[in-house]
Amino acid sequence: MDIKDFINKIETEIDEFEEGSLKPETNLRNTSAWTSMHALILIALIDTEYNVTITGEDLRTITSIEDLYNIVKERTRQ
Amino acid sequence: MTPFHLHNKTILVTGASSGIGKQIAISICEMGGNVVITGRDEERLGETFAALKKNDGNLTITADLLDKDNLSDLVTKLPLLDGIVHCAGIVKPYPVKFLSEEKIFETFQTNYNIHVLLMAQITRQKKLNRNASIVFLSSISAAHPHKGGALYSGSKAAIESFSKVIALEFYSQGIRSNCISPAMVKTPMYEYAEKGASKETLDEHVNKYPLGVGTTSDISNTAVFLLSDASKWITGISITLDGGFLLGGI
Repeated sequence: MDIKDFINKIETEIDEFEEGSLKPETNLRNTSAWTSMHALILIALIDTEYNVTITGEDLRTITSIEDLYNIVKERTRQ
Repeated sequence: MTPFHLHNKTILVTGASSGIGKQIAISICEMGGNVVITGRDEERLGETFAALKKNDGNLTITADLLDKDNLSDLVTKLPLLDGIVHCAGIVKPYPVKFLSEEKIFETFQTNYNIHVLLMAQITRQKKLNRNASIVFLSSISAAHPHKGGALYSGSKAAIESFSKVIALEFYSQGIRSNCISPAMVKTPMYEYAEKGASKETLDEHVNKYPLGVGTTSDISNTAVFLLSDASKWITGISITLDGGFLLGGI
């Protein structure tokens, strides 16, 4: 997987984000469309696609999509 | 004499190794009852057992109710019961579009199927005394679902209906069946939700409780009432415990 692929998946699953609207440096929680429902979707998406468990705490600590991508990448290796 | 006690009653508590189930077992003993506690984790079940007020009739049986043989063994070993509290349960939030057969199975197996199978075998093997009281742990989300709660809310709604069927099929023996439907209670499951959801979302939710979030003893006191003869005219209902949350005024 690469980060472009990762961002594509997020844009596909969360209808409020248009294709190409997200960048590696985007802080999802600061986007105007962000709601708690999106946290649920993100957690389920990463669980389904990468078999990696992300917690609400992880989502609180990250400041960009790249941070999240790195967590997923690290946990895929484990 | 006050009917608000559990003397001479033997009560089975499932999911007794932690959280609400553990507190219910403790409270039953404090009110004079004997408990048979069961759960998957032998060590944690032992901790619950050690926390119980010593009664000669207390019994601990380790069993994974998801395992058919374990369930049958448990039922065979059970003494005659005056009550059952079904506490075993899991909560795993998923948005609708990520639901799968496996996920449905996982939640319904623990929150619905095992309780139904346990009741089937216990009644078939005549392990219930006359005037026994059955209590199922439901949730306010059975009638007031939340986002991501398709499976949890659905399984709790199913168990509420099942409880009513028990009430109908066994009333001729004086057997009663009721549910307790709590809102947010401080338990290990709550801590789990705190990790899964964002803390802000949870804090926001908690601020909507006029009387604050519940404690496990808020639930166990109601369970004791439903198990006691003080509630002998109550059957087929669900008692909401929500600290005023559903008033919706905050």
